[in-house]
Amino acid sequence: MLLAAVLAASPAAAGVSQVRLRLPLRPRLPLRGNEKIALANFLVVTDAEKSRDKRLQNVDLQGEFHRFLKKQIEKKTKFEVSDLDVKLPTQNLSELGRAAEFWRSAGTMTGAEVLVSGSLEFKVEDRSGYKTEEYVSPINGQTYYRQVYVEQTGFLFDIVFLVFDGHTGEKILQDEFKDFRQTGGRRSDELQGLFENLFSLENQILNLFVAREREADRYIFTD
Amino acid sequence: MVKASLAGLRFAWVVMLAAGCASYSTPESAKSQIAFGSEVARKGLWREAAFRFEQAIAKEPNNARAHNNLAVALEATGEFTRALTEYKRALELDPNDTHIRRNYARFAEFYTSYTRTSGKATSGP
Repeated sequence: MLLAAVLAASPAAAGVSQVRLRLPLRPRLPLRGNEKIALANFLVVTDAEKSRDKRLQNVDLQGEFHRFLKKQIEKKTKFEVSDLDVKLPTQNLSELGRAAEFWRSAGTMTGAEVLVSGSLEFKVEDRSGYKTEEYVSPINGQTYYRQVYVEQTGFLFDIVFLVFDGHTGEKILQDEFKDFRQTGGRRSDELQGLFENLFSLENQILNLFVAREREADRYIFTD
Repeated sequence: MVKASLAGLRFAWVVMLAAGCASYSTPESAKSQIAFGSEVARKGLWREAAFRFEQAIAKEPNNARAHNNLAVALEATGEFTRALTEYKRALELDPNDTHIRRNYARFAEFYTSYTRTSGKATSGP
């Protein structure tokens, strides 16, 4: 079993030390590891507010995510990945999950044993505003509170994965991953924010298909 | 003369070896086993650490600290079911220790997710 445990110890208290372990994460899907996987389009969730956001018009969410996912699976697994470039039968996620006939025929068409689709939502939120800050006067050394204007941008990414059996068209897994990042500055780059979200979800996404590891801290007593 | 001194040297060597073996086999306290075990654990030598913590438990079966450390070592070597038993024993012996409680909570989170995906659980946390 792949399980090296390691690492640095940092004293937390007298007689106690913190150690870091590397623990295995089993794949969520019961796969052999060499199947053919077809990546279909994902539904892009939009709402009225989002469609008005001009900053998102420059982001090809579908294209960027598809490229990212394909690259990660190809690079870090032994699956054979192909594209399923067909129009989805519905724009409703629940209906998409139940469209067994569509997925079965897509499986037959591509020869893929596993088909992947789902939905994507990406939001850029301007979180700038006044915040209370502690301030020590250099004149009298007393502590005061003052209002300062802080520019911040929040990036929210929400992915729902639907995984189908290519032979039967039945849904074999549904899972959701969310990530929120906040950066300084009002005009933080949208694409950079998108990839910050994606890379932080990378381990969880890949863990759908293959075993991964995660780090965990534990305490041991030293006397 | 030379023969006599050689014999003397041999004798001394045998005595030293015997003394060494005797000190090796002298039962060490649970505390020193825990100290040594934790030292090697921090170097990543978890199997040796587990052995030391087991020795500590053999000396003091009700030492919560030794059970906690053994649980961590077993977790590190992938023996999750045994780790669960040891964490539970540690908690049973010292339910108020915050470090043991935190360890157990974190392990329970991991173990639940691990067994959910592998279906390997024999008993849940």
